[in-house]
Amino acid sequence: MQIKLISQNQLTEEQEEQIFDLPVAIGRDITQLPQGMSPVVLLDSSKQLSRFHAEITSDNNQVYLQDKSANGTKLNDENLRGERRPLKNGDRVTIGNYTITVLLIPDGYTDDTVVAESTSTIFINPQSEVTTTSTSIFESSQSSIIFNSNTGILEQQLTPTTSTPSSEFPHNLDFWQGKRVSLEAIDRSGFPVRETEYVACGGGMGSFAWVDMLRIAGVKTENIQVLSIQNKPYHRYETLLSNCQIPRYKRIRSGSDSCPDNIWGWPGYALRDAWRALFSGQVGAALGFLWQVFAEPIHADTYTPRAKDVFESMDREAQRIGWNKMLEPGSILSLRQTEDGRYCIAYCADPQNKRHPRFVIAQYVHLCTGYPGIKLLPDLEKYRQDHPEEIGDSRTVVQGYEPHDHIYEKLEKQGGTIVLRGSGIVASQVLDRLYKARQVNPNIKVIHLNREPHKGNEFDRAQRYVENDWEFQPYNWPKGTWGGDLRRMLEAADPLGRRELLQNWGGTTTASRKQWRQIIKEGRKQGWYTITYGLVTQLERNPRGGVVTHLVSNQGLKEVSADFVIDCTGLVSDPLQSPFLHDLITHYELELNPQKRFHVENNFEIKKLRNQSSRIYAAGIITLGGPYAPVDTFLGLQYCAHRAVEALAAAKAPGVRYIEGIYSLWQWLKWALNNKP
Amino acid sequence: MTPTLFGRWQTRIFLLATVGTLISLPFHWGYFGHESNVYFWVVFYVGLLGMGWDVLYDFLQKYMWDHDWPGVFQFYAGVVEGLVLAAIIANIGLPHIPKTEFDLVTFIQHYGLVWLGVYLSSWVVMRLLFTRWRFRGGEWIGKWPRIS
Repeated sequence: MQIKLISQNQLTEEQEEQIFDLPVAIGRDITQLPQGMSPVVLLDSSKQLSRFHAEITSDNNQVYLQDKSANGTKLNDENLRGERRPLKNGDRVTIGNYTITVLLIPDGYTDDTVVAESTSTIFINPQSEVTTTSTSIFESSQSSIIFNSNTGILEQQLTPTTSTPSSEFPHNLDFWQGKRVSLEAIDRSGFPVRETEYVACGGGMGSFAWVDMLRIAGVKTENIQVLSIQNKPYHRYETLLSNCQIPRYKRIRSGSDSCPDNIWGWPGYALRDAWRALFSGQVGAALGFLWQVFAEPIHADTYTPRAKDVFESMDREAQRIGWNKMLEPGSILSLRQTEDGRYCIAYCADPQNKRHPRFVIAQYVHLCTGYPGIKLLPDLEKYRQDHPEEIGDSRTVVQGYEPHDHIYEKLEKQGGTIVLRGSGIVASQVLDRLYKARQVNPNIKVIHLNREPHKGNEFDRAQRYVENDWEFQPYNWPKGTWGGDLRRMLEAADPLGRRELLQNWGGTTTASRKQWRQIIKEGRKQGWYTITYGLVTQLERNPRGGVVTHLVSNQGLKEVSADFVIDCTGLVSDPLQSPFLHDLITHYELELNPQKRFHVENNFEIKKLRNQSSRIYAAGIITLGGPYAPVDTFLGLQYCAHRAVEALAAAKAPGVRYIEGIYSLWQWLKWALNNKP
Repeated sequence: MTPTLFGRWQTRIFLLATVGTLISLPFHWGYFGHESNVYFWVVFYVGLLGMGWDVLYDFLQKYMWDHDWPGVFQFYAGVVEGLVLAAIIANIGLPHIPKTEFDLVTFIQHYGLVWLGVYLSSWVVMRLLFTRWRFRGGEWIGKWPRIS
């Protein structure tokens, strides 16, 4: 007999699962688990787990859970202390900070939703610290909704590919196969070649932060080149925002002093908001913003800036640093070290029409290519495959980050029931939108579906606050991870220690906003908003046109019928799915961290790519699981940029100065007066 | 803000030594209160006792899920520190500040202005002078460790 264990990866908010043969031993120390049992090792920094914590055995076709620990094991709502209890399909086992759903797989049963090779990073093999790439990781389940690497448009892809065919530029060139390429070979190939000092691969938020920092540190525009398929650095970010129901005028989940347009973080967006309000005569509003930043999160909701204000401030900064002079349309194809100790990047200068292949040679390179796509949960993915006829506005099952305005329009017209999955910030935004739709048509019901109740993560002496099963945190990581003691703690830890810390601090949370909490209370009271728990096993089309969600929980099997399903379980993606990064990792056998992202140094350098005095740095989501937690946030990207540029200054890279003291003040003055750096 | 203990100490010392001293000058010259050196000593004791207070704050901060220290807590802490310092000076006195010299109104004016100056400049001056400051919990001394 086998069991399937399902848990949430608290870093990526991804659902992970793995199948084990019975009997199973669970604990934090593999050497203490009995021989002959399938070992399940859970990382634990909170010291809540025993070396050998619990076992799952079968006896006469009945499966049992037995606690073996010092602190106990929780089965559904019952605390076990050394006791043995029968396990049912869909039972929830809580061990320390882990909540694991158990599915029983009887002998001879084949489950077609089972992924052949496990992709789990929760139930890990503790021997692997930093892994060298093997090809197997790329065979894991892949996103079917990707950002087209040529056009940047989010689109459904039926047969995902991660590698570029070897018949295409530059892989069709012989010299490209070697470890280092010679400049003569590049010249002889006949393609246009340019030389510069600094290249940003990707023109999104992270590259903007790095280039902004470089410019302020003293590098001139002619020595920087940005390769991008976006015309604005916030283009992709804005697309995702508007898909998940945050138009420009709405407030985003970001802090006042997380300013992508200002490396110092002063004046923050709250002060600028207050200033504007004051001069338009709204003294009350102005004082309100200042009160928020002063009293948050104790006596006031956390201040958050309007998307519009962030974008407009970035436009001004882009103008100031000459972003457009450095920007070159280009889809990045491949990168190689050169024999003279630099890097050569192959790209396509007309990505829309796949024309104009080119090379650029540089000494310092920054990789920040972001999310290559959106990954769907296995059941959603299967539904998509089973119903290819559902496209565009006829979709009944959508991911919160995909365009799905048609669902609200239909609900406003006809009313209906909607299943909302996940409890993150996107779920909050979607619920906020549904609340507005209810004002047009009160005949809308929301069934909120979660795998398990939120219990509120614990760390040190603190616990995260939960209300009505929504777990609150101002931003996507605890604030102390940006620049406080949590940042220091994470940086000091080894790769597996980091994995454990992030597990404790991560998880799905939303922002505590008075208005949203009121909507939940009202919905529960009036009965149009209900919460259901269970693990989704399958989605099925209802003959009447809706969607049936099949659930398994400790209460048994359940079916939930609805007209639409919106999955808000997170923007999950495997960054290494990008063909460019895939090629780079396999060609140079780069190391990955336990989250299967780039292993970077504390200053974000990919050290294995160092070529004489030349260096490559990475930033953003492709470094998740490394020395810094909030890598895909505004301030986090500025931190990556700050560390990388400080490292460049230390390495005496051409034109780079430390931004500190009087020089820093001088540069801030130039920012304030909107003068070129 | 998300200060670390070393960050609290470094920031406190830097700002009291610069902004605190500057704000004390008009008092020292006698534009407010009376001409005396005692104001510099008050600033000195705010720093000295503050080193101890900071240990307590750092302990309490760990009860916050976000390990942060909101502006309003800085305000509360400032009030408590001021009350304790005033009580000590008024009742016992401190070296270089005899209790006979204590005047409540002048103390409130001076201490209040120093607190406000330090609070505001921690938002502005520290950030503009030291770009590492906010990423290191208030530690402004030294560079990041080099990676060879």
